[in-house]
Amino acid sequence: MNRSSGIYLPAACVAGMAVLPIGVLVWLAGSEARFAASHLDLLATTLLLMGGTALGSVLVGVPLALLTAFVRLPWPRLWLVLLAAPLALPSYVGAFTLYAATGPGGEFASLLGIATPAVVGLPGGILVMTLYTYPFVLLGTRAALLGQDANLLMAARTLGMPLLESLVRVALPRAANGIAAGALLASLYALSDFGTPAILNIDTFTRVIYVEYNAFGLSQAALLSLQLLALVGLVVFLESRVTSTREQPGASVLFHPGGGVVSLVALAVAPVVVLALVVPLGIFCLWLWREGQADFELVHAWQSAYASLLAAGVAAVFALPVAFAARVGLAGRLMERVTFLGYGVPGIVMGTALVYLGLQVPVLYQSLGMLVLAYVLRFLPLAVGTIRSSAEVLDDRLVGAARLLGAGPGEVFRRISLPLTSRGIVAGAALVFLEAMRELPATLLLAPTGFETLATYLWRVYEAGLFGRAAIPGLLLIALSMVGLALMFSGEAREAQGERV
Amino acid sequence: MRRRRLLQAAAVWAGWAALPAPVRATAAAAAPTGVSVEALPRLEGKLTLYLGRGEGGLYEDVLQAIEARNPALELGVRRGPTAALANAIVAEARAGVRRADLFWAVDSGAIGLVDGAGLAKALPSDLVAQLQPGFRYARWTPITGRIRTLPYNTEKLAPEAIPESVMALPDSGLRIGWAPGYASFQSFVTAMRLLEGEAATATWLRAMKKIAKSYAGELGVVLGVERGEVDLGFANHYYTLRLRSGKPDAKVGLAFTREDAGCLLNASGIVSLVDSSLAMDFIRYLLTIEAQSFLASEAYEIPLIAGSPPPPGLPALSTLHPPDVDLTRLADLRPTLDLMRSAGVL
Repeated sequence: MNRSSGIYLPAACVAGMAVLPIGVLVWLAGSEARFAASHLDLLATTLLLMGGTALGSVLVGVPLALLTAFVRLPWPRLWLVLLAAPLALPSYVGAFTLYAATGPGGEFASLLGIATPAVVGLPGGILVMTLYTYPFVLLGTRAALLGQDANLLMAARTLGMPLLESLVRVALPRAANGIAAGALLASLYALSDFGTPAILNIDTFTRVIYVEYNAFGLSQAALLSLQLLALVGLVVFLESRVTSTREQPGASVLFHPGGGVVSLVALAVAPVVVLALVVPLGIFCLWLWREGQADFELVHAWQSAYASLLAAGVAAVFALPVAFAARVGLAGRLMERVTFLGYGVPGIVMGTALVYLGLQVPVLYQSLGMLVLAYVLRFLPLAVGTIRSSAEVLDDRLVGAARLLGAGPGEVFRRISLPLTSRGIVAGAALVFLEAMRELPATLLLAPTGFETLATYLWRVYEAGLFGRAAIPGLLLIALSMVGLALMFSGEAREAQGERV
Repeated sequence: MRRRRLLQAAAVWAGWAALPAPVRATAAAAAPTGVSVEALPRLEGKLTLYLGRGEGGLYEDVLQAIEARNPALELGVRRGPTAALANAIVAEARAGVRRADLFWAVDSGAIGLVDGAGLAKALPSDLVAQLQPGFRYARWTPITGRIRTLPYNTEKLAPEAIPESVMALPDSGLRIGWAPGYASFQSFVTAMRLLEGEAATATWLRAMKKIAKSYAGELGVVLGVERGEVDLGFANHYYTLRLRSGKPDAKVGLAFTREDAGCLLNASGIVSLVDSSLAMDFIRYLLTIEAQSFLASEAYEIPLIAGSPPPPGLPALSTLHPPDVDLTRLADLRPTLDLMRSAGVL
């Protein structure tokens, strides 16, 4: 109990902060007493989109996690950052460009003469959502896989289990919480996104919320968002049922494939990168070539990057106590769960809730610090989820042994728990960084006046119909995200080398 | 083909680089009345503008021209969705914090929200008098207008076959395209509610639902009309004008109803949240002949200062018969949405 109270206090503070925006929504909804009509017909579409996205992100993300965790590829860091980069592109960009590229009359048909099925409706929506959420699963699962003791896998192989079977039956079940944490984030993203369903003409719950919001029914929009939270709560609860075994750190596993296999792997991975990155950026470049470029200030790119990096660092620090509290007991588990709720609220409603919160501290309102805090509040669950799933597998006996040998709680945390969860921390920070790079509503409302990021610039030119001008910021968004990720994962690589020596 | 045409149209109407206002002055010199930018004082000091936008990037060009002419003006611009900025302004006022001096919104509903919260300051009477009669409001000023139109397919329909009353459309036997989720369409239904009453509007919506095809936005409606998917549609005027400027042989014409919601003239507008001469003078810049004729010729918006010509391709405002509606009342969207939902069109 002594140990738990120490971690509970900071965890409770962070969890309390994370539910503040929900409190604002309750307050906003309360000023309008009546209940909105139920929208049961929309529930089915919303659930299908959410379920399809979760499934799709697992189907794409898990194999890629196995690949980047266990296979020695040439330029391993490049593969990882390239495969994680789609998370930095707003999904409406993907939806819009894929919609423009495919189908009869699309760019593919008119330029290349290739007839492609139109990306539209629910299947199109699931495809687009999957492409821009699978990195949640990729990074979460990869961190969980790398934390495993490979001796079990080796034992299975020695006992004659085929490679594929041993991966599926020995490695993946122990990474179940990492997979589930990623799928949870993908589901919540699909639940709360508006742009993609609007472009692809899918009737979801968020559309109703946006109609209300744009009709100046802020309290109705808040009330509907709270109703949506029932769904969020359900998903968050379901995810908490997924548990993993605890294990000791041990040997790491690395397969060294030949050149032929690497080419095959590259071929298999190509469709994902092409659809998520090459097509959208290619379409923008095509329009850029047709329309000609106008001036673009590089300062937007720099502002995007440093605000997002700051957010990633702060979020990782804030997430630590919550993630560790979840290991300790039920109360901690509850604190960890509530931090996820805000991620299921549609961005524009959340942005307005954050404006009300920010106004409580007028000195900070619309300052850079406020913007970073807003990012942290919005994206805390991304860091909490991945850190918790890598902390969960920690074997308590290791901590016990260290304490027995005379280490204080602080030293145990610094020398045992922290290093063993560092992969989860890096992965969590990386997710926050990427999400902050593409964040729009809070940036528009809470950034210092005149502070433009790549995401707000993209939105501006998109709204104005100047699609060609989206090419350069789009490319920069991807390039900078990859640089940021490479920086974050470089610490991980050094540590891994150290382990092997 | 559809998307390419859209993009070509977009390139033409929006690809125009920002020009310093004086250069444009010659083009509009023929206009009989209105204030020229030359007659205005230079702007000096700090101003923060919240710019709520739905579409069209040409307001930016006007702002750049104003900044270029007034080097001593420190203009901070916050851009965002109109409803989000209106909500932020109300939240700021509740907290006793004011960050915006001016709010330029793409629709008058957002203005209504801010004015309803008691935040809009009264404008000088000489400024208000620059507007055409019917567009003079005490605490906000329209900047440019947009009119509800009936775009029709010129191969399928003769203009005479189109009823002059929007209420007669359900019995016309025509196939009609609409975008019920679109804010301008909802303003149109609000106007109908105010003019014809709730019961008549509900009956109209139910009858129309049987013959209407839904689109996501009104650009989609106009493209659908042009392709012949429907005979006639509901859309703001500029979509048709922009489409025709990118594709001169487009098979789409513009029809107008008379003195009913079908030809509602709505406006983008600006409110001042401070009582300062700097803010008022900034508004005067937006009402100059130069700014107004730029927005008319490049964005196909309807100038609302007295004596200014309409955008190319649109009949003169004096020959049209928009209904008499207080635009600020269009902010009352709640009953409209309820009505549309109960009729099953939203």
